Amino acid sequence: MEDTEIINLWKSYDRKLEESLLFNQKNAEEITKLKVRSFLSSMKPMKIFIILTGIVWVGFVDVLIVNLFTVANPFFLVSAIIHVLLTKLAIGIYLYQLILIYQVDINEPILATQEKLIRLRSSTLWISRLLFLQIPVWTTFYWSKNMLENGNIWTHSFQFIVTASFIYLAIWLFLNIKYENKDKKWFHLLFNGIEWNPLIKSMELLSQIDEYKIENKPFNEIKGS
Amino acid sequence: MNSTEKSDSFLSVIASSKGIIFKIANSYCKNSEDRKDLVQEIVVQLWKSFENYSDQYKYSTWIYRIALNVAISFYRKENRRRQVSNPLSEGILNLAETTVAEESDENMLVLQQFISSLKELDKALILLYLEEKNYKEIAEIIGITETNVATKIGRIKIQLKQKFSSR
Repeated sequence: MEDTEIINLWKSYDRKLEESLLFNQKNAEEITKLKVRSFLSSMKPMKIFIILTGIVWVGFVDVLIVNLFTVANPFFLVSAIIHVLLTKLAIGIYLYQLILIYQVDINEPILATQEKLIRLRSSTLWISRLLFLQIPVWTTFYWSKNMLENGNIWTHSFQFIVTASFIYLAIWLFLNIKYENKDKKWFHLLFNGIEWNPLIKSMELLSQIDEYKIENKPFNEIKGS
Repeated sequence: MNSTEKSDSFLSVIASSKGIIFKIANSYCKNSEDRKDLVQEIVVQLWKSFENYSDQYKYSTWIYRIALNVAISFYRKENRRRQVSNPLSEGILNLAETTVAEESDENMLVLQQFISSLKELDKALILLYLEEKNYKEIAEIIGITETNVATKIGRIKIQLKQKFSSR
């Protein structure tokens, strides 16, 4: 089939549609009277709430660390410092997401808008990586010199196995939670459901966008890279 | 422009672009309920952006950008019904019941199936090509260079012709 035939085929569809498509003026008018939400506005309140709660929490833990620095046991201090640092990074990502939400403009070209939307969604994976990375500190913050000196071989062994397993798992998840592993069974187990499925789908679109962007570069730029 | 004039002006733009909106919604959503919701979401977002419309671009460029952006994002959402702003019980664009089917023609069916099988960005490109937009306008809507538009459309057309010739 030639180009003109294909275009004519589409035009014939257009004509049929023009005849049969009814515009419901009343319903469309109703929309102009509604207080409509902008594209991503529903995401803002939850992000703001998480950021504020996170700031209060890290503020509280920071105060604890500063005030107990000279008296608390070192295991608690190190665990709390690791926890608070990783939580601050996660809050930083939430802030980045909030900035992206304000920046997304659906009046912009498709590639630019979709890329921002995908960056917004995929940064959620970073938050998961950071949250998993801090799990081991929940198995170490209660350690004390006294516990280590007076415990028996069984409690020490149990504690060691638990902490070592959590450290291994946390590092492994941190390194492996990425788009390339989206088809793995464990990834599906972790990230399956209403919240995650759109994220995975949007990351599939990211590879299309990257492909478009590569071909968008002038020939010399590709050659030089 | 007062609110009534703004509303009237918007409704006339939507009425004259109903075909564009329907074709985009139909290409990204085959399920009629989802399609109805997508049409509504596109109209809602067009209304929301209406006052920011810049005459730097044609109305059609503005409509295509928003409609395609919403359609591409919308298909990813789960539980779409819940995501639509204030869902209306009836659709904004409805096909007359007397119409047998818009895809009754066999060639048209092949073309529709081909469009549905394309990836999201390729789908947007072929829709704009079929609407006879020039490469400059397509480049402005998608956000890529005209050369890239030509290359991509060329590849999609080869696939389409293979699809027709393999029947």
